[in-house]
Amino acid sequence: MGNQNREDWQSLFGRFVDATEAEAAAEDVRAGERMLATWPAPKPDTELIAYINTEMAARQRRKRRLARLSRALAAAAAVIIIAAIALLGRGPASRPTAPMSYASIIPTSVWESEDVNAEDAELMYFQSEIRRIEAQMEALESGGDDLGPADDVEEIEMELMQIETEFWKG
Amino acid sequence: MAESAELARIIEGCKSGDAQAFAQMVDMYAGRCYGYFYRLTGDRDLSDELLSELFIRLVEKIGSYKGGVFESWLFRIASNIFHDHLRGKKRRQKLFDARRAQLQRVSDGPRQSDARDEMLDRLQVQLNRLDADTRELIMLRYYSELSFKEIAELRREPIGTALSRLHRGLKKLRELMEG
Repeated sequence: MGNQNREDWQSLFGRFVDATEAEAAAEDVRAGERMLATWPAPKPDTELIAYINTEMAARQRRKRRLARLSRALAAAAAVIIIAAIALLGRGPASRPTAPMSYASIIPTSVWESEDVNAEDAELMYFQSEIRRIEAQMEALESGGDDLGPADDVEEIEMELMQIETEFWKG
Repeated sequence: MAESAELARIIEGCKSGDAQAFAQMVDMYAGRCYGYFYRLTGDRDLSDELLSELFIRLVEKIGSYKGGVFESWLFRIASNIFHDHLRGKKRRQKLFDARRAQLQRVSDGPRQSDARDEMLDRLQVQLNRLDADTRELIMLRYYSELSFKEIAELRREPIGTALSRLHRGLKKLRELMEG
């Protein structure tokens, strides 16, 4: 260990006891630490180090994947909420809607998959669909679409259902 | 200065998820942390387990490191892991059994064992005769390489108290080793 001798033990002890006692105490500590140095602890095995590196990499991958999925989930939830608000405002008043679990939008296969590239492709597709619907929502709100209000609502509903279905398929 | 710049670079690499930076972190600290765990437990298998836990926790927590002395941050996690271990009932029993077996081996003299190096480690035997808190203080000081002021802060105790305990502990250990 490197810095044992860099500590100024004498002045440290000198804050609490007189100079003679401080010198003796400092020498006790220095001798004690020299003795520790003559009995080094064993080193970790190379197999252990390799195992730790592998575990750390796996943990890091999982952490990154969870962060990505959380972002996608949040975006999906936001779009669905906006769409639902828009539908409630424009669609027939008494149309019943099935309760939706946002977590279920992400298929189990994606949560458990180790294939980051495939996940990325799916997420990119999913995000591009979200952006497209957002653009359509904006167009609807500004009244710039040629379709009538009832057609608009049905078209968006169809697209949301399609996205969910495709995502479930993986 | 160059050393701290290098460490800062590695920490930043870890924060951005660079596997190479994590491997460098392991190279840099595994030996010292392993020594710390080993001297506190006297058990290689358990030290393996605690060291693995430390670095896995490092992956989880590196984002929360906001500067300051890195060793202080790392060894606080190591100390928490050791105390978590002590709190676990099953693990506590395992440690007790391991220590009992170790003392038995010492009193019976050398015998065939996989842990021959441990058997010959007189320091480990005498360390076990110190109280747990003093032993931890000595090992924290020795393996973390922190200044004594930083050690006292890490342990949240007055520097005079910690200093007195370290002095008594090391003096007693030397007497035990020489006796």
